[in-house]
Amino acid sequence: MAGQSRKDQLHFTIQHVADVSTSRRAGMQMAINMGFAHADATKIAVVISELARNILIYARTGTIIVKEHRGLDGKRGIKIIADDNGPGIPFLDKALTEGYTTSGGLGLGLSGSKRLMDEFYIHSEVGKGTNVTAVKWLNK
Amino acid sequence: MDSSGSTQKLENLLLVAVPRDLMDDEVIELRREILQAIRRHGSQVVLLDFSRVDICDSFFGRFIYTTSKMVELMGAKVIISGLQDVVIETMVELGMTLPDVDAVLDLDDALALSRSLSRQYNHLNETAPPDGDIADEE
Ligand SMILES: Nc1ncnc2c1ncn2[C@@H]1O[C@H](COP(=O)(O)OP(=O)(O)OP(=O)(O)O)[C@@H](O)[C@H]1O
Ligand SMILES: [Mg+2]
Repeated sequence: MAGQSRKDQLHFTIQHVADVSTSRRAGMQMAINMGFAHADATKIAVVISELARNILIYARTGTIIVKEHRGLDGKRGIKIIADDNGPGIPFLDKALTEGYTTSGGLGLGLSGSKRLMDEFYIHSEVGKGTNVTAVKWLNK
Repeated sequence: MDSSGSTQKLENLLLVAVPRDLMDDEVIELRREILQAIRRHGSQVVLLDFSRVDICDSFFGRFIYTTSKMVELMGAKVIISGLQDVVIETMVELGMTLPDVDAVLDLDDALALSRSLSRQYNHLNETAPPDGDIADEE
């Protein structure tokens, strides 16, 4: 469940469906507190939801960190880090293709999240796990 | 008006208030409730009201889609309403499309649609008139 280490950083262990709603709600609130518009806070919440759900479905357990982020030029943003030690993704380009799914889903989680954020990085190793890091800037 | 849980009968319309945070087991529960209510009331149109929902992810999209498919197999139709502007914006950017699912602006439009569907239905069954109330038919 939620263990809040610092004021500007949220840390969630994802292992039950309830953790998906807890983390996306808290992330949305953090975004609003930082000054994100309601529409952008909603997008951030949906991305947290997609990444948390992927952890649950494919890796069973993992972590989500949501924190304030500073760019090199000093601009402020929010960073989402989803991390798991699950099976990894063998074909990353496929996984990032809209509609591609191995679980009977819509195949929108990763491709859609990439669109909803300003920066999106995914690193995955088969047998080791997956890390997704995504950033949305406050004032573009 | 007869109501049970989050579903409510209004003429031949079944109103469903979709909860704000829908968890996996609750989705299955809600779907069962909808299918049972359709059978109980003979509803022809199911209106999924999303006005309480402020975060709509791909899981929600799948819920709308599969529910509409199941309802279709029972001879009824799903329509949706109440999606907030920011929710719509996010759904579209996420890439979510809901083929075959009509959206209406409000309850009035939903009622108009279900009344017109019931007129068509009664017309088709004219030879064997249903025992329901069709008093307001012209
Ligand atoms: N954390 C992960 N670990 C292992 N595989 C993953 C992980 N996240 C995604 N994948 C793989 O990438 C594919 C695409 O993921 P994506 O979230 O885009 O779609 P989905 O989960 O299949 O469906 P949706 O998210 O629309 O319900 C998945 O089907 C799965 O094979
Ligand atoms: Mg997914």
